[in-house]
Amino acid sequence: MIQLQNIFKWYNTANRPTFILKDVSLTIDEGAFLSIMGPSGSGKTTLLNIMGMLDQPSEGSYHFMGQDVFNLKEKQRKELYKQYIGFVFQAYHLLDELTVYENIETPLLYQGVKSAERKAMVGDMLDRFRIVGKKDLFPSQLSGGQQQLVGVVRALISKPKLILADEPTGNLNSTQGEEIMQLFQQLNKEEGVTIVQVTHSEKNAAFGNRIIQLLDGQVQD
Amino acid sequence: MFRNYLKVGLRYLLKHKGYTFINVLGLAVGITAAILIMLFVRSEHSFDRFHSKADRIHRAWLQEFYEGQIFTNVVTPVPLAPLLQENLAEVETVSRVAGIGAPIHHRGNIFNYPVTMVDSTFFDIFDFELIKGNRQNPFPSKNSIILSEEAATLFFGNISPIGETLELEIGGEKRLFTVSGLTKNVPYESSIQFGLLIPFSNAVHIWSDYVRTSAWSNVSVETYVLLKEGADPAKVNAKIPSFMQPLVAGNYKAGEYNVRLQPLTDIHLDNTLPAGMVAPSNPLYSYILATIGILILLIACINFITLSVGRSATRALEVGVRKVLGAERRQLIWQFWGEALLLTLSALLLGVLLAYLLLGQFNQLANREFVLNADVFTLLFCFSLLILIGLFAGSYPALVLSSFRPVQVLKGKVRTRGMGLFGKGLVVGQFVASIIMIICTITIGRQLHYLQQKDLGFEREHNVIVPTNQQGSAAALLANRFIAALEKNPQVIDATTSLYSMAEYGWMQLGYKDDKDVFRLFRFNVIDPDFVKAMDLEVVEGRNFMEGNPADSNAILVNEALVKEYGWDDPIGRKLPGAYPQQIIGVVKDFHFESLHTSIKPVVMALKPDAFFENSSDVSYDYSPRPRISVKFRGGNAQEHIALLRENWKEVAGDQEFEYRFLDDALNAAYEQEQRLGNIVQYASLLSIFIACMGLFGLATLVVQRRTKEIGIRKVLGANVSTLVGMLTKDFVVLVLLASVIAFPVAWLVLKRWLQDFSYRIDISWDVFLLAALVSVLVALLTVSYHAIRAALKNPVHSLRTE
Repeated sequence: MIQLQNIFKWYNTANRPTFILKDVSLTIDEGAFLSIMGPSGSGKTTLLNIMGMLDQPSEGSYHFMGQDVFNLKEKQRKELYKQYIGFVFQAYHLLDELTVYENIETPLLYQGVKSAERKAMVGDMLDRFRIVGKKDLFPSQLSGGQQQLVGVVRALISKPKLILADEPTGNLNSTQGEEIMQLFQQLNKEEGVTIVQVTHSEKNAAFGNRIIQLLDGQVQD
Repeated sequence: MFRNYLKVGLRYLLKHKGYTFINVLGLAVGITAAILIMLFVRSEHSFDRFHSKADRIHRAWLQEFYEGQIFTNVVTPVPLAPLLQENLAEVETVSRVAGIGAPIHHRGNIFNYPVTMVDSTFFDIFDFELIKGNRQNPFPSKNSIILSEEAATLFFGNISPIGETLELEIGGEKRLFTVSGLTKNVPYESSIQFGLLIPFSNAVHIWSDYVRTSAWSNVSVETYVLLKEGADPAKVNAKIPSFMQPLVAGNYKAGEYNVRLQPLTDIHLDNTLPAGMVAPSNPLYSYILATIGILILLIACINFITLSVGRSATRALEVGVRKVLGAERRQLIWQFWGEALLLTLSALLLGVLLAYLLLGQFNQLANREFVLNADVFTLLFCFSLLILIGLFAGSYPALVLSSFRPVQVLKGKVRTRGMGLFGKGLVVGQFVASIIMIICTITIGRQLHYLQQKDLGFEREHNVIVPTNQQGSAAALLANRFIAALEKNPQVIDATTSLYSMAEYGWMQLGYKDDKDVFRLFRFNVIDPDFVKAMDLEVVEGRNFMEGNPADSNAILVNEALVKEYGWDDPIGRKLPGAYPQQIIGVVKDFHFESLHTSIKPVVMALKPDAFFENSSDVSYDYSPRPRISVKFRGGNAQEHIALLRENWKEVAGDQEFEYRFLDDALNAAYEQEQRLGNIVQYASLLSIFIACMGLFGLATLVVQRRTKEIGIRKVLGANVSTLVGMLTKDFVVLVLLASVIAFPVAWLVLKRWLQDFSYRIDISWDVFLLAALVSVLVALLTVSYHAIRAALKNPVHSLRTE
């Protein structure tokens, strides 16, 4: 599903390049549950963003579902992204002005899904994750765990094949964190959703079926 | 999707109430100003456009070169209209329009209501609405008269006037007229105003055969021409000399006597030609007003932008999240512009409401009767405001915020510290405009004060002017009896008769060729021996006229300006070289018989006019030569004075209408336009500084919010409240000072140009500039320090814990 080859990423500081990623090559098969670990500043989030097409490497190539991502037009890349990828953030990043229902609905709006269909899809999700009772609440009225649950549901609404999660449990207590991890595991096993998560925690990394370590922008085997 | 935007927009605006309030109120006030000013400018530019043939109607005007002088007249010879009709194939029809003095005798009263004499083609050319009567044949007979509704109500009350009669005194004889038509009142936006219309055939009672058929240097009527469809006015203009020149060849060389056509719709805003029936407007004033309106709107829009810049940190995160959720930039642009439009729409509704409520005050200010109608133009104007303001004010969030890249904003990498050069530039821009307006307000105020306080060389207080509205011996008889009656009253210091009083800015102008064949012009007045004393004029050389001295009827008084013009050292005993037999017996100190816009011109005053008219080669006047009585009171209650005058008038003049004017009112009327401009600029500067401060207030909120942590840390490190307040306000004060520096030269240039309209003016003084800067800094300080002090007083524990 994902083939990264010789990915480099650097910034020029004081005329000298500072490397974030150094020659990262990585293949992730469909149905994998990969955890990326490593200390702060090792390039985990950058790697995740590159996979999520939010960021571009300075060098290297990226094939996603057989398509050469960096040779696609912006528009086609956006389509690819919208169709297959969902993001989950450490800080949840729910839209404060929208209710739970509306937050979950938003990706569908941008995909141009019809109103009736949207209603059905969001309703299904609310049922499945048992948050129907919270649908009219605003993010500020929810606990951290509940907010992240909404964040995950929002990422799932467009039925992505790949979920990219940047320290999804970083702001949660351990019980809440475990619930989210179990949810990921369940999605991965039962629905075959590919998951790539960045995490600091060995325990969370263990929920997945593959772990890579990043250090100073390089994959440690 | 649209509903989603709307929902988010509304929730966002409701959540940040302070931000929304400042934005909406600022914009609304700006929109109110724009709408009111639009009403004014529209009125100025819509003059005479209500005639369906307006684009084909022209007014003839006359330009004469005579002895090196140019005379321009919109009043034309009586035979011009038939001449144009006869010689120009392009002319469809013509009509003369002449205001005549014809006292109206009605039910034992005499009214001085203006009477207008027009050709029967009048209603073919113009669209004035005839409620009753026949447009094709408006005057069935020579003694038909058409009334406006206002005149009909005045003379006949509520009964239908058709068939009723009025007695008009024309050419010294009373003639009976029968009402044959009724028109709607003439709209304000018309350069032709009338209340009573009579057919032009009555000209035989007023002018001699010579004047009516071939007096080309005698101007009496306005001439309007309707050109045929498709006729080119430039070509028509070019044809006129071919038949005009032979008629005036005796007195003028080719090119010295020119008749030209001026489009009807140009009349109102062309102040290069003299006034016709209605004085034209200075077009400068509607441009100034439009500029002020645009400035105020701009200041309000800038508020919107600076506040958006201030909020960009919060909104940037939203942009990032939405992009991650699949939003495209185009969609975000729509969302932000949609929000801006939503906000502008609320501001527009509030602005229209405010405009509606303030219309009365504005009408008072502008001395007009504007109405705010939901007509197509107004709706279109409001809609354009909505779109333009929405697009302009929303451009920052729409174009800049939407471009943020999610990776950066989600990492918190977008720099939003401080106001940024852009934000600072906008604040400076707002204050530049405000400071310019403050400086203008103060300087215009001072100039007006100067005009009203300046020593005019005569006494303006407690002086009432009563026109006789009569001519010749009838006027003299009336004046003498009136003055004799008044002088018995102890309150009256003096009463004097003169052809023109000090209230008529524009005495008769006479011209003649002196002994060296130089063409000379001077202003002329006929006075009585009391005039000099009653007006407190100062005789600096020689003596005043003496009562009962028959030799004085062959003498004149002149002013210093005349002596200077001729370069005399010993004016007493001299005559104006050339045409006139009268000797100078005295010189009066220069006095301002004209408005302070112009410098003092040579003046001749005599007891008898006769020889002057005969010996002058050029006679022109703006006010009818009918003697006025000036009455000087000892001071006291003006109402009592008027009552006294009215009572005495009734005794000597019987049923003739009593009119009066206070001299100081009449004099101030000359500066009415400036006075109004002054008032409007004053309001505009208040508004602009108010709006700018609201923006500053909002910006200060954001800056202080952003620096909460810094303030907390500084406090923990031992900073005291006053240092903190100083630190927070310093930036803003610097901006306002910078704005002052930019505003000064602009204001100076603008005022210099404005003051050039006055021959007598104040100097622009530096203290005005300092004052304006000081006021702005103070207001800015007050605005900003509210937040600064609040932030500085906060316990740092709270601000640091939230991080």
